[in-house]
Amino acid sequence: MPQTPGVPHASPVLLAEKLSKAVRSGERSLTILKDLSLSVAQGESVAILGKSGAGKSTLLGLLAGLDTPSDGELSLFGHPLSRLDEDGRAALRAGRVGFVFQNFQLLPTLSALENVLLPLELSPRAGESQTARDWLERVGLGERIDHLPKQLSGGEQQRVAIARAFVADPELVFADEPTGNLDPDTGAQVIDLLFTLNREAGTTLILVTHDHALARRCDRCLRLAAGQLNAFDPAVEGGGDE
Amino acid sequence: MSSVNWRLAGRSLKRDLRAADVRALFVALVLAVAAATMIAFFLDRLERGLERQAGQMLGGDLVLEQRDPFDDALRATLEQAGFVLSDQVDLVSMISQGERFQPTSLKAVDDVYPHYGVNRVDRGEGVEEISSGPPAGQAWADPRLAELLGLTLGERVQVGQTELAVTGIIEREADQSAGFGNFNPRLMINTADLDATGLVQPGSRIEFELLAAGSAQALEQVQPLLSRLREQGVEVRDVRVDRPQLGNALARAESYLSLAGLVAVLLAGVAVAMSTKRYVERHLDTAALLRCFGASQYQLVTIFGLQLLGLALAASLIGALLGLAGQALLLWLLVQFIPLPLPLPGFMPLGLGVLTALAVLVGFAGPTLLRIQQVSALKVLRRELDPLPPAGWLVVGTASAVFGALLWLYSGSVSLALGLLLGGAVVLGVLWVASGLLLGGVLALVARLSGATPWSQALRLGGRQLARRRQAGRGQLLAFSVTFFAMAMIVLVRGDLLTTWQSQLPDDTPNYFAINIQPSEREAFEAAIAPSVTTQSALYPMVRGRLVEIDGQAPREAVPESARGDGALRRELNLTWQAVLPEGNEIVAGQWFAAPRPAQGFMQEVEATPETDSPVPISVEAGLAERLGLTLGDSLAFSVGGDRIDTRITSLRSLDWDTFKPNFFVIFPPESLERFSHSYITAFYLPESEQGLIRQLVRDFPGVSLLNVEAILGQVRDVLGQVTRAVELILALVLLAGISVLYAALTASRPVRAHESGLLRVFGAGNRMISRVQGAEYALLGLASGLMGAALAELASAALYLYWLDLTPRPHVALWLVLPLGGALLVGVIGHMLSYSLRRQAPAASLGLLGEA
Repeated sequence: MPQTPGVPHASPVLLAEKLSKAVRSGERSLTILKDLSLSVAQGESVAILGKSGAGKSTLLGLLAGLDTPSDGELSLFGHPLSRLDEDGRAALRAGRVGFVFQNFQLLPTLSALENVLLPLELSPRAGESQTARDWLERVGLGERIDHLPKQLSGGEQQRVAIARAFVADPELVFADEPTGNLDPDTGAQVIDLLFTLNREAGTTLILVTHDHALARRCDRCLRLAAGQLNAFDPAVEGGGDE
Repeated sequence: MSSVNWRLAGRSLKRDLRAADVRALFVALVLAVAAATMIAFFLDRLERGLERQAGQMLGGDLVLEQRDPFDDALRATLEQAGFVLSDQVDLVSMISQGERFQPTSLKAVDDVYPHYGVNRVDRGEGVEEISSGPPAGQAWADPRLAELLGLTLGERVQVGQTELAVTGIIEREADQSAGFGNFNPRLMINTADLDATGLVQPGSRIEFELLAAGSAQALEQVQPLLSRLREQGVEVRDVRVDRPQLGNALARAESYLSLAGLVAVLLAGVAVAMSTKRYVERHLDTAALLRCFGASQYQLVTIFGLQLLGLALAASLIGALLGLAGQALLLWLLVQFIPLPLPLPGFMPLGLGVLTALAVLVGFAGPTLLRIQQVSALKVLRRELDPLPPAGWLVVGTASAVFGALLWLYSGSVSLALGLLLGGAVVLGVLWVASGLLLGGVLALVARLSGATPWSQALRLGGRQLARRRQAGRGQLLAFSVTFFAMAMIVLVRGDLLTTWQSQLPDDTPNYFAINIQPSEREAFEAAIAPSVTTQSALYPMVRGRLVEIDGQAPREAVPESARGDGALRRELNLTWQAVLPEGNEIVAGQWFAAPRPAQGFMQEVEATPETDSPVPISVEAGLAERLGLTLGDSLAFSVGGDRIDTRITSLRSLDWDTFKPNFFVIFPPESLERFSHSYITAFYLPESEQGLIRQLVRDFPGVSLLNVEAILGQVRDVLGQVTRAVELILALVLLAGISVLYAALTASRPVRAHESGLLRVFGAGNRMISRVQGAEYALLGLASGLMGAALAELASAALYLYWLDLTPRPHVALWLVLPLGGALLVGVIGHMLSYSLRRQAPAASLGLLGEA
């Protein structure tokens, strides 16, 4: 079992070295992540497993540049994030990073089409509404482009979110418990869709989950425990949830 | 990129219009704009209406007067500036009919006369309104002249070397500028007949008047010319400066309207601040998501800023339309007051409205909106990560700065704006502490409520809910109390203004002046009017005198250049003597005359002529002193009946010109003027039913000149009545603005309340129970706010009366009952109504509401 789970590649999409994250809780300082390293190659799909409170969301936030580490270095697409301010990190994400969230995070006032258009409009490809329509076709919602999120079921909302994650041809997609708010059948359909699209687009995928079955579909599985990432084989260590 | 911002802003605005906070924001902005534009329109028109009226009294917008005919160059200059000119010549001459002779004040008018208004003339078929003077060859006499000469219509009178037919009896002249100096009866003739009379000779005492009618711009344009004319000794009357009669009451009304308008804007601002808070909270998730997808901070601010800007512009448009409609209503109310068609409303008030909306938005929403750019993208993963609310000082500071600028814009006075602002800041600090104490007190009282009745239970629970959100409750209490305070102020000040106005012009305000009562007629005259007259002012002795020297110089040399044409230098002044300060006068500098020495008592008869060595002390009206540059200790010399009297100013008086009582520019001490020929002046109120007395007085006292001021008085009453109605309309707007604050505050706290009622229901509370608890919570908040509002209103009204409105403060007992109870009822009922939809929600939905984007 190698100590450093990162598989060396020529030019990693994401490279984390000795990441630490501590938060202050009253008088005490609570260390969530400690000296964590990770390298993700282009086109790779990586699952990060962990129990509730293990710090999965914290790690995802750091990797996507939504948060800053207390210590350590992180680079995205070859750019060290520590040298960028919040706006710089946002600009780096624009058009290159897609997100799928557990609670969908669709804007309630925008239609399905408008929600999918959102990342395009924030990227240099503003105005390509046909692309957004195509993606909604591909997730099977071509007939419902004008519906508001509240007029869609949970599974449909997550499919809109998946179309939104891929619409700008991102190089990297982060998925945070994408099936967490869905029933098992719907969840399975959504996951099939996510992996199919990911494969077709050749996108790098980082998936955070506590579902071993879901994790198994990734190229590589890592477990987050005690602030550290370790390689992990769900097939060997048994199915089920973290 | 920028088109993205526009698209995103536009799309969400369209859908956001359904959200309660956006609606509250929108309504508040509409109200601010409506109040601002309506008041701007109204004051604009009031101003123009007053000028029109003043123009009518003066006979034109600009009146020039001198002893020689005006030259053509001057006429050409004025005509080029856009004035229409009318010539008038005034002189005193002996008129005769048969054996009767009468010194008469002749007024020769041309065919343009009158510029404004109409003459009321009886030409044999009852009194008619005629918008011209007599045609050539004819003359119109006033009733007194007709009585004195025994004239009937159609008879001819001798005027100088010609004869004219008297074809009309003038009941009222279009221009009322005659004044009290006009002792002689009136004959109006046409300027075409002037040459034939042969009365215009070099050296004769003739006043040539040039009456000009024109726009405010024209008047502005000729100001340099007017200053030159004044220096040359021409008397210049400018409609904007020499505005008669209406004075203080209207100035107060204008102050009041501006105040009311600003209160509406302030309240709307508070509502905007509250709704923005909720708006930003609701959009933090959206902002975080946009951040996640790569939007910059600048982009976030642009998107939401544009959205609010769009909202503000739409609100401005609707508000301005409402303001326009409101001013049309005002115009309808004022239709009698403004006799001539006015130009269409200008764009200035509209611009002011839009500016107000933007200023209110930037000032009251700006800092809160900036919070949105602080949002962390991480919030998409961790909901609890809300950016800190903006610092309180920043929000209050920005709002104060913007409101201060608006105050300045509307009041035109930096010192007033700064004073109100600084006072407001101090008051706010004190209030913050006071609101904490008050809320604590009320809650402590409620917590001690015992009893198991549903209402005491509801009050206890409601009180506890309020206590849990102490900080938010404190903020709302502050907002409500300021709202109640403002509403109370408007009502209080309005009530007191009306009372003051009414007491200022009671029904028995003198409507007649009697001038030129000879000492020998004095007792007979008083006896003649006593049975019919209810009120009469004192009889003032009056001596005519000319100011001939100021500090040893000719008056024209001694006064500021701008005052060289002043009427006080050109005409004889009415002088009087008084032992005590007349009613309505107030010494503003120096001392009133000392009481006469008692030792003089028995020597009075002997010492008919007082010593002339030492100057006589005199009291001068402060306004005249200011115009002529006179101060205490200045020596003035008067020429009275050919004698010279040397005087020294020992006091300056301010006096209330609005009272319709005889007023004097210069008052002498007793025993200084008695030796000169003098007459008496008095004012009295003659009821409508006793008008027959006038004919009798004219017959029995032909020398006495009676001046009817009923028309002027009526105009003043009309204006006050109409302004009052306008004020009521504005008050309605202020009340609406107050309710919009309530609505915004309740909208802002709705999610938290929804969560609480959801929990209560989960724990088994029924609909009625929840309904009562919510009602009780709001009512307690309203009660506390009302108490504080009452305290504030009491303090502020006292200050306002003393320093701004010039009234005497008095306590308002009813306030302490009406505000707390009314507040509890109003906040209770509206809050309860707004919570209706919450009570109908299933608990699951209520509990989920907190987390919804």
